Amino acid sequence: MEFAQEQAGDAVIVRLTGRLDSGAAKSAEDGFNAALSGATPHLAVDLTKLDYISSAGLRVLLVVAKKVQQAKGKVALFGLSPNVREVFSVSGFDTIFSIQPDSAAALAAVR
Amino acid sequence: MLSFVEEITLLLLDDTQGRFVDLPLSASDVVVAGAALMDLALANRIDSDLERLTVVDTKPTGDDILDDALARIAPPGQDLSVSAAVEGLAAYAEGYKEKALQRLVAHKILREENGRFLWVFPTRRYPVIDDTEQREVKPRLRQILLTDEIPDPRDVVLICLIDACNLLGLVLTPDEIKQTTTRVEQLSKMDLIGQAVTRAVAEIRFIVKHATSPIF
Repeated sequence: MEFAQEQAGDAVIVRLTGRLDSGAAKSAEDGFNAALSGATPHLAVDLTKLDYISSAGLRVLLVVAKKVQQAKGKVALFGLSPNVREVFSVSGFDTIFSIQPDSAAALAAVR
Repeated sequence: MLSFVEEITLLLLDDTQGRFVDLPLSASDVVVAGAALMDLALANRIDSDLERLTVVDTKPTGDDILDDALARIAPPGQDLSVSAAVEGLAAYAEGYKEKALQRLVAHKILREENGRFLWVFPTRRYPVIDDTEQREVKPRLRQILLTDEIPDPRDVVLICLIDACNLLGLVLTPDEIKQTTTRVEQLSKMDLIGQAVTRAVAEIRFIVKHATSPIF
């Protein structure tokens, strides 16, 4: 899995590419920790190129959501493929996260 | 920190009686098996998705219950459904529960009392002598259940196991249970292994209920 991040004004866009599973969980966790190091996180997560997410991947995102909430920040996801969206729907993660159609909507949601 | 197997074994004990709460034996086996799988998942030995459970690391955890479970699930690379893993491990859950009880006694959380019923039949009960763990867990779970606070993965597992055992009354009042139905449903489905445990317990309850219903 590839983890990339870029600054977009006061927000950070994180882009995940490939598979977010147990093998990628630790590097994703480290990447998110770096992205969340600011005072109040405004985080948009681009999942356009995320092909697969497992339970371990969901746990990484759950911890991210908890940290953002604790820091009184905001997080939104966008670009979910149909199979990733199904996992979010079945696991109820779509009720925890703000899921937006594109980066503009996600950035607006976290500002 | 207790493992999920130890935690659920402790929660399945009635505080006042020191005996297991009323739950079909096969249902408690499924819950303990699910707890072992959830321990293995958080120890990064297994991973799962909507269809499969996969062993991703066969390295022993150092916990004999979990290492037994890990060895029994499947050879590395051979996938099986989450439900099949839960049901397969349930056959060994009685032994896991017994080991967990002995550990809780060794940690001085429980005391083992042997007695006789009607002066003949041997009985055993496990009164709680140190409830620190339960006193720490309950307020945290109440906070998660009664607010919109996002849980951590460990809390999700505990809520899922407690809900599957119908033991929400340990942390919520009857009125609170009614008020939090949607929240409990939301949290309980957040763990994919937990979903399989909940489904299996519901099926067992259905079978037990209908097997014991009067025909006329």
